[in-house]
Amino acid sequence: MTLQSLLVVSAALFGIGVYGALSQQTFVMIMMGLELMLNGAMLAAVALWAMSTAGAPKGQLLTVIVMTVMAVEAALGFALVIGIYRIRKADMTEKLKRLRG
Amino acid sequence: MNPVAAVGVVGGVLGAGAYALAVLDGAAARGVAGMPRRWADVVVEPARDAALLALTRRSTTERPDAQAWALAPGLLAAMAGAAVASVPLAEGFAVADVADGIVLFGAAMAVVMVGVYLHGWSANSPFPLVGGYRFIALALSYEMPLALVLIAAALPAESLSVGAIVASQAGSWNVVRQPLGLPLYLVAGMGLAFWGPLDGADGADLAGGTAAEVSGPARLAWELARRFVLVAVALMGAAVFLGGWHGPVLPGAVWMALKTLALLALTVAIGHRVARVRLERFVVVAWAVLIPLALVDVFVSGALAL
Amino acid sequence: MSRSLAVDVAFVLFAGGAVVAAWLVFRTDSMVRAAYWLLASFLGVGAVMVLLHARFLGLVLVLMMAGEMTIMAVFMVMFMMNPAGLNPMTMVHQHGSAKVAGLVSFAGLALVGIVAEFPDRPRTSDADPTAELGVELLGDSMLIFETAGVTLLATMIGSIAVASKRGRFGDAEEGSGPPPLEPTARPAPEPEPAMEDHDHEGMHHG
Repeated sequence: MTLQSLLVVSAALFGIGVYGALSQQTFVMIMMGLELMLNGAMLAAVALWAMSTAGAPKGQLLTVIVMTVMAVEAALGFALVIGIYRIRKADMTEKLKRLRG
Repeated sequence: MNPVAAVGVVGGVLGAGAYALAVLDGAAARGVAGMPRRWADVVVEPARDAALLALTRRSTTERPDAQAWALAPGLLAAMAGAAVASVPLAEGFAVADVADGIVLFGAAMAVVMVGVYLHGWSANSPFPLVGGYRFIALALSYEMPLALVLIAAALPAESLSVGAIVASQAGSWNVVRQPLGLPLYLVAGMGLAFWGPLDGADGADLAGGTAAEVSGPARLAWELARRFVLVAVALMGAAVFLGGWHGPVLPGAVWMALKTLALLALTVAIGHRVARVRLERFVVVAWAVLIPLALVDVFVSGALAL
Repeated sequence: MSRSLAVDVAFVLFAGGAVVAAWLVFRTDSMVRAAYWLLASFLGVGAVMVLLHARFLGLVLVLMMAGEMTIMAVFMVMFMMNPAGLNPMTMVHQHGSAKVAGLVSFAGLALVGIVAEFPDRPRTSDADPTAELGVELLGDSMLIFETAGVTLLATMIGSIAVASKRGRFGDAEEGSGPPPLEPTARPAPEPEPAMEDHDHEGMHHG
């Protein structure tokens, strides 16, 4: 378990997340891609905290902030999915060519 | 500790606890029904029922998600085992005294929700699916009070380790110091194991809920796993609220076993005496009453711990 | 087996499992499976965090994601046309360019990870990392931590406001209509005045 191997794994998670967020049509699947990207970022933060900063507590703090971002993303994402479904009966990006309400 | 021995200890605790739970349940059922309790029968009956289930043919549904279906009981049992491993069974003896034992318990019990939902969903059949949804609604309601009362119990110990929490109860137990803790914990724990009044997920009103389509060895595994979760809940409750190994005269391990059995007996008695609660009413009560009470518990415990 | 070898084996299992599970999220036909593969990926990353001594963070990640992924699975079943995955299904657009973007970002980040010279200062202190995090959160970085808390509160209020059915001027879906056949057509007719609505309802129910 070296820093390099950890960063490659986190890059792989991030790359898969980018692919998912760009290629999926369903809102919830796009959210899954975003979460994967955050997952990779979090792993990189923890890896650098443990291996490269001599365990400075600020590294763990950064991870807590990423978790907050995840929670905010999930809560707002679900709320928007519900709101859009209610008004447009749409669950896919293609049905939202118009952004006007 | 040697991994094989660790698995043996955890499995032994879970197995013995589940058997004791089944015996207590049988005795209580006979008591409620007014049947004579012949203890020889009561003690043998769970083994007979288990053997019958193990020999029954396994039924299946049209196109189930077979892997997820098989995974669900394993997930519950593994999470119960992880919770048991972090609880000290006697003074200075825990299979793995994790420094963040309370958080480990919370994480394991959150994964239980995944296991129950998977069990309901993967059968590809309506009643189990409804049972799975019921469990999600239930779980999202009991999870906050559960986490809050555990945090309150960790406050006087100034540690997240279960061993430190037990050690902090040398003077007076948490059940006395934090009178709100144990009742709230028991409500949440019964929800976790969908037991007694909160058995909506596997209730008889849903023809067995998530287990409606399961029979034979798979049913046995599921019933065992579900009881394992309740045993883990009782064990953690005994350690966190009833002072764990503390007690006069008898050795610590015996006190631990007695307290766990007492909590199991209490749960069984509630299960036979209290009617099933309608889920939508429980959700309202959980969010409007239990969470504020749990917050009061945290604030009061925090102020006392200062 | 020495401790460092055991850690290496566990790392390969968990990290490899996390990447494979992440890939399977977008390769399965079943919505619930997709959500739970993502959970498996988080479990793998959480385990790697525990291996790196960030025990609290790893466990909290599992705690958070088990709930979130279950909700995600429920959402998928609620909103998608093929929830159970009985038929093969691909719902993708711009597939080629998405693949390229994913590969490029992977290659770029991995290159940085391999080539860049990060200082080699492993964690040495024996202090409990959870205690360190707690002191940091309620010490020097309290303002940051509180900002995160206020952000979460604002998110809760905002998402309830967006998602709630009852709005200030009636139900949220009032005036909504079925999806238009033409993508450029107006998506929903104008809502009728509230007064007339009451009359309609009275007639229908009466």
